[in-house]
Amino acid sequence: MEWVGSRIGDGDGMRTLQKASSFVLASLKPSTYMKRTPRAIARCGLAGRPFSAFSLSVATLSAVIIMAGLAVVTAAQEEDLATVSAALAPRAEVLIIARCSVCHSPDLVAQQRLPRARWEATVEKMKHWGAEVSNDEADLLVRYLSARYHPGAPDHLPPLESEVRKAEPFTQDSVAEGPVTGVAARGAGIFEHNCQACHGTNAIGGHGPKLAKNPILKHEDLFWETVLHGRGPMPAWGSVLSHQDIADVQAWLSTR
Amino acid sequence: MILSRRGLLERLLQGLGVAAIVNRPVPVVQAAGEELARNESGPLTVRVTRPFDAETPVHEFKPFLTPNHRFFVRSHFGPPPPDAISEANWTVRVGGLVERTKTFTLKELRLMEAVTITAVVQCSGNGRAFHRPKVPGVQWERGAVGNAEWTGVRLRDLLAKAGVQAGARHVQLQGADRPVVVSVPLFTRSIPLEKALHQDTILAYEMNGRPLPLLHGAPLRVITPGWMADSCMKWLTEITVQAEESKGYYMQAAYRVPIQPVESGTTPNVPSTPVEAMVVKSLIAAPQEGETVKSGPVTIQGMAWSGEAKVVKVEVSFDEGKTWEPARLVGEDRPYAWRQWQLIWKAKTSGTFTILCRATDARGEQQPATTPWNPSGFLWNGWDRVSVTVTA
Repeated sequence: MEWVGSRIGDGDGMRTLQKASSFVLASLKPSTYMKRTPRAIARCGLAGRPFSAFSLSVATLSAVIIMAGLAVVTAAQEEDLATVSAALAPRAEVLIIARCSVCHSPDLVAQQRLPRARWEATVEKMKHWGAEVSNDEADLLVRYLSARYHPGAPDHLPPLESEVRKAEPFTQDSVAEGPVTGVAARGAGIFEHNCQACHGTNAIGGHGPKLAKNPILKHEDLFWETVLHGRGPMPAWGSVLSHQDIADVQAWLSTR
Repeated sequence: MILSRRGLLERLLQGLGVAAIVNRPVPVVQAAGEELARNESGPLTVRVTRPFDAETPVHEFKPFLTPNHRFFVRSHFGPPPPDAISEANWTVRVGGLVERTKTFTLKELRLMEAVTITAVVQCSGNGRAFHRPKVPGVQWERGAVGNAEWTGVRLRDLLAKAGVQAGARHVQLQGADRPVVVSVPLFTRSIPLEKALHQDTILAYEMNGRPLPLLHGAPLRVITPGWMADSCMKWLTEITVQAEESKGYYMQAAYRVPIQPVESGTTPNVPSTPVEAMVVKSLIAAPQEGETVKSGPVTIQGMAWSGEAKVVKVEVSFDEGKTWEPARLVGEDRPYAWRQWQLIWKAKTSGTFTILCRATDARGEQQPATTPWNPSGFLWNGWDRVSVTVTA
């Protein structure tokens, strides 16, 4: 068993610690904690009575206070971390799918239980290796990952709220307005940022299949099904790309 | 020789039901937090869907040899595209500090003297999930290990044909696998020349008498008997003789352990050394974790191995390690292979029991209760542990 808070040491954790400590202090009677104890210790010293027995009881009391404090901190912090992770999940999960899963499936992320410093180092390493995340996105990822996948989190985490899976698309245009018309010129850039790592420059193929002149482009339903929901090792892009984005990529691909 | 389409398909399939697993519509769609369903009854327990990393359920270790389709799979980037390693295109090149650079086709290698070695291959991170505090990486539990017969040619025979120059100290190994994003460092490793020249270090093209499966490094992989699998380069294409250890992330930062004990949970700035030899270790293959057995004689069995020494003793404890009973070493006894063991336990009383095992090798190295913590969680060899329920 270990106490997570002491090792996470991040801003959120420290605030929780302060909050929880003041809760512990407030819940003790001031006379017991603030006044009587120091005076009692002084009196004990002055009277020349054996110090050890009394200091032992002080120590015991302190231990009880500290233990109670720890218990409260842990519970409060757990709650706080859960709140943080739930709040950040919609955006962070989209980033994990869009940016991290270019190289590895998200299950590798979900099995980690790391303190904030290790998450920072990991996200930094991935950025250095070419993960397409901005500084703000990296910061969001670190906050989310260290709130959800921290060392004290259980092996089997409860699933994320169902809203998360319907995660907000990055681009906020409506998807409910019926068919969209793709614009090839826009599709080139969207392809470069999201698809090229696997499907290669100009869609000539790489780890993923060649898409230029690929028969799937003639099968509207299959193309959309694959992009929205994934297929085999390919992740789903439905929560990352808007319908307009996908249509743009499709339009661009058909010019290849 | 051009590998026929059917040959290629067969080779892919020997890679196991993995082909099926990979192609199954895996719900990578879902949020990272949702654990993929782990099919414990399948050939392998999947840890990472892509690149495919999967371990063997420990109860499958009852046979002396681990079948190819149940052998653990691990790589950093997944297999190279099949055409990059098709027999028609594939060669392995020996260069660097050599008298003459040589290139070998698979056909040429098959004409050289073949050797077969039974050896345990184990991921350096096997057991990482048991380190506390937890460390980053694939959370392997007990099954990222296997014992197979490897057939191929001696690495030193290739080095002899090229002629190693004076001043050579290390041999760099490079496979054909590539990261998705080009800015990710290649998985490049090196081994000391002494290990490369060892008569038992081989380049294997067969695994358990079958062509090496794609997921296990086809057409050619390195086997460094007694050493952890990070030296056993898959999809081998380049061998470079050099004066220094390889540069780069996977040799200078990853796959290293501190040379002195470090405080748990810290990232100490102490000198480190590459992970090389395996440490002494044993596992309980039966009964399984959580199994219910009838009171009476119960066969406890498993296997034990050590990197560079013979296993001489395996012991079992039913009281959290206070007392130990010797198990019987059974079956095949081959260098570099694991040794099977068993103990007949007279389970008299009903209840739940924890069974522990530990091995000792000929150098006197003994499996500890827990392995000293290290930042990357390598070389776990703590006592193995299984809980069973005995009923009347």
